[in-house]
Amino acid sequence: MHRFVNHAVLLFAAGMLLGPSARAADGEQLFKFYCAQCHGLQGKGDGPNITEGFPVEPRNFTKTDEMNKLSDADIRNVIQDGGPSASKSPMMPPWGKSLAKDDVDALVKHLRVLCKCKGKQ
Amino acid sequence: MVIPKIKLAMPEKIYRFGSSDEESAKERYMKHTTLSATLLAILIMAASGAVRADAAAGGKLFQAKKCQECHYTSGPAKEKTIADQLAKKGPELWYAGSKFQKEWLGKWLQDPKPIRSLKYNSLTEKNAGNHPKLAAPDAVAMTDFLMSLTSKEVKEGVIKPNASPKGRLIFTKNMPCSGCHQFPGKGFLGGTNGPSLVNAGERLNPDWVFAYLKDGSKTFKPVRQMPVFAGLMNEQDMQAVAEFIATFKK
Ligand code: HEC
Ligand code: HEC
Ligand code: HEC
Repeated sequence: MHRFVNHAVLLFAAGMLLGPSARAADGEQLFKFYCAQCHGLQGKGDGPNITEGFPVEPRNFTKTDEMNKLSDADIRNVIQDGGPSASKSPMMPPWGKSLAKDDVDALVKHLRVLCKCKGKQ
Repeated sequence: MVIPKIKLAMPEKIYRFGSSDEESAKERYMKHTTLSATLLAILIMAASGAVRADAAAGGKLFQAKKCQECHYTSGPAKEKTIADQLAKKGPELWYAGSKFQKEWLGKWLQDPKPIRSLKYNSLTEKNAGNHPKLAAPDAVAMTDFLMSLTSKEVKEGVIKPNASPKGRLIFTKNMPCSGCHQFPGKGFLGGTNGPSLVNAGERLNPDWVFAYLKDGSKTFKPVRQMPVFAGLMNEQDMQAVAEFIATFKK
C-alpha cells in the first residue's frame, strides 16, 4: 500500500513535469499531418492532393513577399473558417472544428518559419 | 421458454435480410401465424448459428494470418494523438461490418486492389498494392467475421443512392471533398491523399458514410487528416452528399 502511494506520487510528479511540454502543440507535426497533403511537406503548394486539373493552386508558403501581405489574424481566420471566409477557394478547407486554438496558433508560427517573414502587422 | 425471445428478434431480422421496405416487412411479419413464425424462427436460428460459426472461424483466421499486426478489431477507437495515428500500419477494422458492403469485402479480400493511392500514412510513397490475399474459402469466413463487427452509431436504411444536383454541388464545388478524394469525374479526378471514392457506391455502406460525416471525429476516426464538417454542414447537406457518394460506381 505504502509503496503504491509512493509510486503514485512519483508518477504524478513526473506527469506534471512532462505533461505540458509533451502536450504542447507542435506546429511542424500539425502542418505535416493536416496541411502538407495539399501545401506540400516544405509548404511549396505541391502536396499529393494537387493532381492535374486541381481548380486552384494552394498557397506556396515559401514566397516571402506574398506571405508578408497576410497578417497573423488573416492566417488564423482562413485556417479556422476556410477559403471562402477570405474570398478564396473552398478547396482551402475550414479547420475550426478539427483543430484547437493552440493548434492554430502553432500553425501560424510554423507558416512564419516557412515564409521567413513576420507578415502584415 | 425460448420462443418469446425469438419473436422479439424477428421484425429486425426480416427487415435486415429481406426487403428494404420497412412497412411491408412489418406487415408481412404481422401476417405470420404463430406456427409459421416459430418455424421461421427456428430456420433463422439455424442460419444465424451457421453465420456465427463462420464468423468465429474467421476470427481465428484473422489471428492465424497475423492480420492483427496491422489492424485492430475491438472498439472504441484507440488513437488520441497524431503519433498514435502515424504508428498504425493499417486502418482500424472494429466497425468494418458497418462500414463496408459485404459483397465488395468478400471480393476485395481475394483480390485486394489499392484503395488509397499512397502508402498508408505516407505523403510521398505510392501504395505498393501488396496487401495480403486470401483464398476463396478463407475470404468467406473472414468476411463473416469482419461483417460481425458493427457500430451502433450507424442507423441502417436511411441513405439511398441519389445523384442530386445538390449532392454534386457540395462534393465538387462548395466543399473541398474532391480536393482529397478521387471520384468518378471528368477532367479533374480528385486529390489522392484520401481513400479513393471512385467505387464507393459498391464499397461503402452509405449509412456509414452519413454517420461518419455526422459524427465528426468522435467515434470512428478521432485523429484524421480529413476536416470535421459536423457543425459546418447541416444534416440535410450531409445526407445529400452521402447519397451522391452512394452513386459512385466504376
Ligand atoms: C484540400 C487542400 C488543402 C488543405 C488540406 C489545406 N489547404 Fe490551405 N489552401 C488550399 C488552397 C487551394 C489554397 C488557395 C486558395 C485560393 O487561392 O483561392 C489555400 C490557401 C491557404 C492559405 C492562404 C490564404 C490566403 O488568404 O491567401 C493559408 C494561410 C492556408 N491555406 C493554410 C493552410 C493550413 C495551415 C492548412 C492545414 C491546417 C491548410 N491550409 C490545409 C488548399 C488546402
Ligand atoms: C502489413 C500490414 C497489413 C496486414 C498484415 C494486413 N493488412 Fe489489411 N490493410 C493494410 C493496409 C495498409 C490497408 C490499406 C490498403 C489500401 O488502402 O489499399 C489495409 C486495408 C484493409 C482493409 C480495408 C480497410 C479500409 O478501411 O480501407 C481490410 C478489410 C483489410 N485490410 C483486411 C485485412 C485482413 C483480413 C488481413 C489478414 C488476412 C489483413 N488485412 C492483413 C495493412 C495490412
Ligand atoms: C483535407 C483532405 C480531405 C477533405 C477535404 C475531405 N476528406 Fe474525406 N477523407 C480524407 C482522409 C485522409 C480520409 C481517411 C481518414 C483515415 O482513414 O484516417 C477520409 C475519409 C473519408 C471517407 C471514408 C472513406 C474510406 O474508405 O475510409 C469518406 C466517405 C469521406 N472521407 C468523404 C468526404 C466528404 C464527403 C468530404 C467533403 C464534405 C471529404 N471527405 C473531405 C481526407 C479528406
